[in-house]
This record gives sequence, C-alpha cells and structure tokens, in this order.
Amino acid sequence: MSSSLRITLLFAIAAAGPIEMLVAQRPGIAVDRRLAEHLSLRVGDTVRLGAAPDSLRILAVVTAVYEPRPDPAQLTKDERYVRLHLPDLAALLGAPDRVDRFGIGLVPGTPVSRAVTELERNAFGYRAYPSAAIASGSSQTFLVVSRFHRAIAVITIVASAVFLLCIMLLKVEERRMDAAVMRFVGVRRRTIFGALLLEAAVVAVMGSVVGTGLALVAGAATNAYYRHFFDTALTFSLITPGIVLFSVALSLLLGVAAGAVAAWRLVHTRPMVLWGRG
Amino acid sequence: MTPPPLLARELRKDYPMNGVTVHALRGVSLRVDRGDYVAIVGPSGSGKSTLLQLLGGIDTPSSGSVEVLGTPLDTLGDSELTRLRLTRLGFIFQRFHLLPVLTARENVELPMAEAGVRRAERQGRARELLEFVGLGHRAEHRATQLSGGEMQRVAVARALANRPAVVLADEPTGELDAGTGQEILDLFRRLNAGGTTLVVVTHDDRLAAEAGRVVHMLDGAIRD
Amino acid sequence: MTGVIWGLKNLARQPLRTGLSLIGIAVAAAMLLDMVMLSGGIDQSFSDLLLRRGFQMRLTPKGTLPFDTEATIGGVSEIVAALRRDPAVAAAGAVLGTSVYGRTPDSLVTLFGYGIEPEAQSLYEVTGGQDLTSGDSSGVVLSEAAARLLGASVGDTVTLVGRLDPQVVTAAVGRRLVVRGLVRWLYDYRGQPSVGTVLPLMQSLSRQAAADRASLILVKARDDRAVPQLADRLRQRFPQVEVNSVADLVAHFRERLVYFRQLSYILGSMSLIVAVLLIATLLTITVNERLGEIATLRAIGVSRATVVAQVLAEGTTLTLIGAVLGIALGLVTARYLDAILTSFPGLPAAFSFFVPRADTLAFAALVLLVTGALAGLYPAWLASRAPIAATLRAEAT
Repeated sequence: MSSSLRITLLFAIAAAGPIEMLVAQRPGIAVDRRLAEHLSLRVGDTVRLGAAPDSLRILAVVTAVYEPRPDPAQLTKDERYVRLHLPDLAALLGAPDRVDRFGIGLVPGTPVSRAVTELERNAFGYRAYPSAAIASGSSQTFLVVSRFHRAIAVITIVASAVFLLCIMLLKVEERRMDAAVMRFVGVRRRTIFGALLLEAAVVAVMGSVVGTGLALVAGAATNAYYRHFFDTALTFSLITPGIVLFSVALSLLLGVAAGAVAAWRLVHTRPMVLWGRG
Repeated sequence: MTPPPLLARELRKDYPMNGVTVHALRGVSLRVDRGDYVAIVGPSGSGKSTLLQLLGGIDTPSSGSVEVLGTPLDTLGDSELTRLRLTRLGFIFQRFHLLPVLTARENVELPMAEAGVRRAERQGRARELLEFVGLGHRAEHRATQLSGGEMQRVAVARALANRPAVVLADEPTGELDAGTGQEILDLFRRLNAGGTTLVVVTHDDRLAAEAGRVVHMLDGAIRD
Repeated sequence: MTGVIWGLKNLARQPLRTGLSLIGIAVAAAMLLDMVMLSGGIDQSFSDLLLRRGFQMRLTPKGTLPFDTEATIGGVSEIVAALRRDPAVAAAGAVLGTSVYGRTPDSLVTLFGYGIEPEAQSLYEVTGGQDLTSGDSSGVVLSEAAARLLGASVGDTVTLVGRLDPQVVTAAVGRRLVVRGLVRWLYDYRGQPSVGTVLPLMQSLSRQAAADRASLILVKARDDRAVPQLADRLRQRFPQVEVNSVADLVAHFRERLVYFRQLSYILGSMSLIVAVLLIATLLTITVNERLGEIATLRAIGVSRATVVAQVLAEGTTLTLIGAVLGIALGLVTARYLDAILTSFPGLPAAFSFFVPRADTLAFAALVLLVTGALAGLYPAWLASRAPIAATLRAEAT
C-alpha cells in the first residue's frame, strides 16, 4: 500500500461518548488495535479524516477494531493504520477511480510467469510482479540483518574456538605429571590420547546440552522481550531442530578437535620433559 | 645476654590426613646457639622437616613456642613473620626451587629486592655471593640452564642474600649425586667456619658427620 | 627484582599458551571494540550527516520524519519567508522530494527529484561542474548514477518529464535542462539516481499538485545553543508542521535502530565475560602449577603483596597486549560488519554504523584493561593464600 493510501495520524477525534445514529454518508472505518488504544477509540466513535492536517473534512465512524497482521517491515516504524472501503478513500483523496495497484489471485494451477507475461502484454502501461518477487524485494532489509547475524556468529565461533583450544591446552597441561608417570609405567601414547579425547568429547557433549538449554531460554526471553517492546506477535528468535543439530555438531567438533590438539601435544612431549627434568 | 638464634619449647604439631590425625611432632624442644652447625637426622616420617618448618615460621605449631633471636613467632602477624623470614633466616630446599625464568644472579637478588636493597648494591652482593659459591661465571645463566649441583649452590647464595642469622636447609643434598653433594658439604663447612649458624635436616651421613651437633629424631620426638 | 618483572618473565615461559591466550583476548577485545563503536556509531554518524551543512532543524509534515512519506507541507513560501524574518534564524530553505522521469534515447528512466533552494540547501555537495544558482530554471544537477543512466555529463542537455500517465506513457510536463554540475547527494543510498532543480521547477514536475508545497524545510539557527528554544518557539508558531532538531531526529533514528544498540550491549558484555573467563582461567591454572614455587618464595620471605603483584602483572600485561592486538583486529572486522549493515536498502550511502573515534577506542581499551585486572584478582588471591608448609610437604612427595 503506497504512502498516499496510508493515513498516519492525520485525523483528530471529533466526538466520543454515546454512539451516534449513523448518517448514511458517513463512511465506516476499521482501526488497528494499537491506534485504538493510543486514542482510546471504540466501535461507534466518530472521527474526522483528511489527507492533510489542515483539511480534516470527512466524518467517519469506527465500525471495527482489528489486530494488524505482524509485519516485520513495519516494526521500527511508528505508524498506525485505518482501513476504508476503496471508494471512500478515493473520494477522501480526491482521486476517484484511481488505485496504486491490483492484487490478483490466479486460478489454482495457473503458472504465475505466464500470467505475468499475458498481463503485461495486454494491459498497456502496467507492470505485473509475482508476489514472491515483491516479498523478496521487500525483505532485503532482513536479508541484511541475517547477513549481519551470520557475521557475528562466525566471529563468535572463531572466538569460541580459540578460547576452547586455549582452555583445553591449559587443562591438559595441568595433567602433565600424571601423563609422565603413565608413560613411565608403560601406558601407551594412544591410550593416554584416547582417554583425553574421550574426556574432551564428554565435556563437549555436556557443554552442548547446557548450551542448547541456555539458547532455548535466551530465545524465549528474546521473543518475550521484543514482542512486548514492539507490541507485536512476530517471532524474533527461532530455534529449529536444524539449528540445534548444527550448533551441537559444531561445538562437538570444535571441542573434540581442541581436545585432540591438546592431547596430541601432550603425548608427543617426552616424559622427562613432562616430569620437569628434561 | 643475647638471645639464641633459635629456641623451640615443647613443640607439637598435629595435622589431619585422610581422616586420621597425624602427630608429626610430640613435644620437641631445641636450642640453637650462634655459630652452631646442627644436623637433624632420622628416618622418613620422623618429623624432621616439620620441625624445620616450625623453626622457620613456615608453619605454626599445634602447641609450644618458637623464638627467633628472642622474638616469639606466635606474637607476629603474617607480614611480620614474612619479614622475619626475609631478613633473619635463610632457606635451602631439597628441590632448590629457584625461579626458572630468572638468571642465577636474579634469583640471588630476589630476597634483597624484596627487602628494599638498592639495585647497585644488590647486584654487587649477588655477584659476590655467586663467586663465594663458585658460580661467578654462571651468573647470567637461567636457572634451567644449570645442573642440579649448580642450582643448589645458587639456592645457598640466595639463602645468604640478606645476611641471615640462621640458615635452615631441608635435605640439601637429597637430589644430588655424591660428587655434587660433596660440593654442598664443602660449602656448608665454609659457611659455618665463617660464623654462619646452620640447621640442616638430612639423610646424608657425611653431612651429619660434618655437623657439630646431631639431633636424632624418631616418631616425632628427639631420641637423645 | 619486583613481582611485576617476575610476572612478565613468567609470560614468556609458556609461549604457546601465552600466544593462544593473547589471540583469545584479542578476539574478545575486537568484538568489544566493535560493539562499543556500534552502540555510539549510529547516533554519531547520523548526527554528523545531519549537521554536515550546519542546518540544525527540519520542519516536516505533521507526524512524519524527513522523506518518510509522500506527505507535503502547504503554504511553504509563507512559512519560509516568516522563518527568514526571524532574528534567531540564519537561513531557511524548502525542499521537495518527488519522482520524476528522464528521457533516454529509447526509454524513460525513473529518477528521484529534489527541488531545492540553492541559497539554503543541505542535501548535496558539488563534485564536478558548478552548483545551481537561485532562480536557475533551466539548470539541473545530477548524481553520478543519474548521469550514467541518462548518459549525460556537465554541459549536456537532458529532458526531465513529470506527471507520467503509465497507461499511455505520456507526461503532462516536460523540460529540457542543462546539466550544471555533478553532485553527491548526502542522503541518497548507493547508486540512487537523483536529480536536483530549483524548487518551483520540481514542483511543476511533481506527480501530485505541488504548488507551494514542499517535503521539508531546513532551518539554520544563528546560535547552536539557542536551538532548543528556537525549536519550541517554532512548534508553537507553526502547529501544522513537525519541528525536529538534530537531537530530536537522532533520538527518533535511535529508536528505530534500538535493536542494534541493544545487541551491541549484549555482545559487548559477552565479550567482556569471555575475556574475564579466559584471563582468570589462565592465571588460575598457572598459579596452581606454580604453587610450589610460590610457597618457596613465601618461605624465603617474599610478601603476599609481591606474589599478588606478580599475578596481577601477568594478567594486566596479557590484557594490554591483547587489547592492542584487539583494537587492530576490531578495526578490520568493523569495516567488514559496516559493509554488511550499510547495504540496508534506502540507507544513505554517507551513513556508517561503526564509527572509529579516539575516545571510543580509548574507552574500549580502558574497560578491557580494568576487566582484565579484575579477572586476575581471584587467582592472585589464590596465590597469596597458598599454604606454605602444606604445599612444600606436597611438593616433597
């Protein structure tokens, strides 16, 4: 809907109180719930409408209050909406019989591209767009946000990997004396390596479980917070089984890899050096 | 009358280990006079090292008292006790415990720096002490580059840094072979000949034989 | 020999461990720096943009922000004249934004048209040729993108048409104009094809009847300090318009991008937590490894304070070096992240989310340093409390 068909707070309340007898020429309007709350409007109230603040010419009656469909594109815009019957709005704007666009529903099975081609051929001066193209175009903002989130995720993963490797090295090195004694008594390198790797894997699994739990809690908190903040029913954080699977797999991989690096380094250090005498 | 460097009265030390109380010392009394060379000998677990730690103020007795140069240790707070160890006592350990990242000279300087001695003075004294222990040519080598015997000699030099009244040594030859152990023995002999009071815990018969007085310990008590 | 020097030398003892820790701290520091830049960058960048030409206020149709809608202000000439008579106002100018079309040899191309008053405009900077002059009804300035689209350069003649009927592809109004100059439109998104003419000309080309109408009015106050009072006075004098100072606009903008500010706080805090955990863990483990050494030193008379100083020196040095590396890394990652966010459709190309400033860098470094020092407190406390006798006993076994 173009901006010329959006009316953003361009009217003032003319009257409230008892429901007036509807006059035949007063158009009925539907008001979005947030606007109704903001202006304390109820069904039956009369309002003035206009296309400019200095020309509130038309009296209209609130016939419905509706819940706006959650739309991410409207999230940060402090806009409120009313709906009018098309002829009423056209008359209000002084542009009868003009619209910005048509919405077209095709008979099931009709290829969209064929319909687009035919429309453009037959309706001179018009452009036809598949809804999917419009959706794609209007979701560019969110694609940018997604890319940003992905970049942050990559940086976080890199930081976590470094952190993990560092901690693993430290923790494994703490056991250098134990490793030295084991080597002295004849325990094979691969046994020590396997034990350390198993430990790393167990820690990684436990960490993944805890992390998944934390993510679910954080996601729920994020959704609760932003739904309240933006007064919307949109979902902001969505944790799917696929995301959980990917995250767990990645953390397991990183944890085991870090453990493997640390363990490899330990078992390939001479026992006397581990003992502190080398 | 000057108080003796060390005076211990009825020292007892108990500590828990795996749910059992270990009586490490059972009423030990000991007097060490200026210039003494005392060797404390006994089997493992007889309480030798525990006694040494109590004499040095490293540990606190369960009962009894220790005086260093007339000062009862139980009247001192932690920082005063630390200061006393720094300025009145010198310690030598079985495992040397030098700081591996520092050179021999820096290790010897450490107690002097802690005592606030100015840089030029402590560097000079450190060199002097290293010459005394025969390691003047190794002053700038890191501790990790020294042999066991050399490390122990640096530890001796460190113990002497602040001109202590008493040097306490716990198994100083325990990690050394016979040859290098003999070097330490010779060093101790020279120290004592120069007037340094020595208390040495040892298994080493040669070291015990060098001492002017031998204290035999068994099961937490002095046997003779 | 002090605990500090001892601490510094200890860092060199385990180069791999120290190196990895530094990398970890650097990455955390980089993230922290980026988030600090993000939290303040939006406001700073937008404010700088708005004040680029010194106009501290904008008047827009009631309930709207500049170029947010296609709504316009009526009776603009009277409002502008009244503003220019105000002693507190140094300059005032109206701007109309609208769609116009340019004729190329084989088609019509859509352009964004700015109708401006050259003597009081803040929307562009001339990059080539000359600026428009007041009353020049035969001149036009183009953005680089518009020039490419129209195949025109300075001195060429272009045809702009308006009030296009898309069905029959005819325009009610057309004008041939001489390209006076190439300009960089400060609020255009990358690649936006924009043209600028004097206001009356663009009003005539506008799709909707725009006689004496404008999208916004720019106001420059004589005294920056008097802006809030002037804004209040204008609100009372012109109740039919929205009066916003730069501070008001920045506040609106901040509200719209509140998500990024909140994200910056969350990620910045997490970076600090990561750095604290890393430093505290590293120092705790190294202290535990060196308990025997520490007990010996305490035994020979080294004070707790020296031991604590050594541990804190290690932690602070790690943090300091990590911070320096992190700042360098953070500047690189900030450019990468900025390139992503500035690709928002419709965002002015001159806008930046990550603005590196000396005070920002210093603040991030200071926060990290303080945090790093605090992270060393627990391991330092551990080290100072090492039981001497028990530790020596344990070492002997």
